[in-house]
Amino acid sequence: MTRSAKKGPYVDEKLYHKVQNAEATGNRQPIKTWARSCTIVPEFVGFTFMVHNGKVFQKVFVTEDMVGHKLGEFSPTRMFRGHTAGRSSGAQR
Amino acid sequence: MPRISGVDIPNDKPTFVSLRYIHGIGPKSAADICKRLNLDPGKRAKDLSEDELSKIAALLDEDYVVEGQLRRQTQQNIVRLRDIACYRGLRHRRGLPVRGQRTKTNARTRKGPRKTVAGKRSVKEMR
Repeated sequence: MTRSAKKGPYVDEKLYHKVQNAEATGNRQPIKTWARSCTIVPEFVGFTFMVHNGKVFQKVFVTEDMVGHKLGEFSPTRMFRGHTAGRSSGAQR
Repeated sequence: MPRISGVDIPNDKPTFVSLRYIHGIGPKSAADICKRLNLDPGKRAKDLSEDELSKIAALLDEDYVVEGQLRRQTQQNIVRLRDIACYRGLRHRRGLPVRGQRTKTNARTRKGPRKTVAGKRSVKEMR
């Protein structure tokens, strides 16, 4: 179910303040964050975030198209590298 | 047979059914169109007058996104998701289900015909 419109988008407050500070000081360093559930608002456009995926921080450069999505959508938590091609995989038992 | 909105040739069915042969017109929109133009929904499509047909075409042009335009729109939305490399975009690229469905079994619509792997234990054997 979608979030109630009454509440507005969920934006992590600490992160939002960090972005505003960075904007004010003109600091364009990547911002490290764990706030994967934070919605990307127009103010975030042009910033680079380091979004944690449970293991490492993934670099996410926010473009205009990404507004409305969540930060976590751009930092995959699973990495599928294909099945083992090894000799008769799964033959053990 | 009548032609509406380019190439569509709905057949000898009642109007509200034959309108649904247009891509982008479902049961709801078909009923709405009949109502808004004061057409008898049960009237066969072949019995529609020229005037009624042009009215339908005009209404479709104005208020509905159908056929090629709709397909293009859908495609563009998918391309956007792919380009920004969000989770849904990645699933589209991979040809896997986009909305969180299981993929251990099923998901054949997205994945296509089964690709059997030699030496892999079947679901039955695993139990």
